[in-house]
Amino acid sequence: MRKKTALAVTALFAAASLTLSACGSAEDADKPVADVSSQTGDKAATVLDQPFEKPDLVLKDTQGKEFDLREQTKDKPVLMYFGYTHCPDVCPLTMSNLADAKRRLAQKLPKDELAKLQVVFVTTDPERDTPAELGKWLKAQDPSFIGLTGDFPTIQASARTVGISIDAPKKEKDGSVTSMHGKQVIAFSPKSNAGYVLYNGEEATADDYAKDLPKIIKGENP
Amino acid sequence: MNPRTTLVVAIAAVSALALAGCSTSDGPDKTSASGKTAESGRTAAANAKPELSVTGGYMPAPVTKDMGGGFLTVTNKGGADKLTSVTTDISDEATLHETVDQKMKKADSFDIPANGTLELGRGGNHVMFVGLKKLPKEGDKVAVELHFEKSAPIEVELDVESATHNPKSH
Repeated sequence: MRKKTALAVTALFAAASLTLSACGSAEDADKPVADVSSQTGDKAATVLDQPFEKPDLVLKDTQGKEFDLREQTKDKPVLMYFGYTHCPDVCPLTMSNLADAKRRLAQKLPKDELAKLQVVFVTTDPERDTPAELGKWLKAQDPSFIGLTGDFPTIQASARTVGISIDAPKKEKDGSVTSMHGKQVIAFSPKSNAGYVLYNGEEATADDYAKDLPKIIKGENP
Repeated sequence: MNPRTTLVVAIAAVSALALAGCSTSDGPDKTSASGKTAESGRTAAANAKPELSVTGGYMPAPVTKDMGGGFLTVTNKGGADKLTSVTTDISDEATLHETVDQKMKKADSFDIPANGTLELGRGGNHVMFVGLKKLPKEGDKVAVELHFEKSAPIEVELDVESATHNPKSH
């Protein structure tokens, strides 16, 4: 109960700070973490003053092989998103935007540069998203995308460390399943390995990603 | 009122203030679809016949045949009605879904306020198509029939757009 209230208050503050920054003029001065300095104008990225540590996460990839996120994406630029494949709207929108941005950059960036980018999709519905299901879905969008699945509490705990809250899928009386996707795409720097930029998955466009990724690949601020 | 409802209401209030204060481009849209307009319309036209029209229907090209989403706007120039179901040849399972806090849930029906609009859009309410009989490609059209509580069914075609199509975004 107390936890819920705290959450509610935090959410309200977050909403309020968004409101303020959306109305105020953008300043480049140092900003607190929750301040979304770039919601106005044409910038979709939110650069965090206090980056998140990369989750210490070991799950199964789409081949069913163990994947150690920290070890296998070390010193590489990473985009991470939490979602599920039985999602008709925001999850495929987000992943298709990333795929589209990557396709566009293939004409601009050297191949080896772009190949460093690791796009990681972590399922929030591991029961339905088996390695094979995940693989099929991601391959249709971009064969290079990494899909991770495993134990839900592990996934939930790692999401929490990067500020993303997800609830376990819930079976409804009519047999349908209510699942939940994360709100943000998190970019991890190849320099610090920290999650330093956030995108709202629902609002950021392929254009936004295409514009920012050349910098993110270098660990620079977009 | 449970805490979660309170939270949603509070946030809605904050965002509403924000929109009013900033007069952003999507301000007018939000206002026309807002509860207030609908509420006053409902009392005035409580027993009036709904007059529905459907515009802007689209389906983002689905990733696989497993699943697709549909979006559209129903405009009502008469009394209140409800969107109760959607049928289509392309799937035997088309259901209404609402999204609340990044969570999708099956909905029994969607209210169409008197003299208001029902908007099914990215990140919000949508039609979910499960088990597509063929994979629609960008440029295709998908015929659907909308069923209402009061009005006669309306047939519309959803334009299949790119997977990244999002008319709402900047």
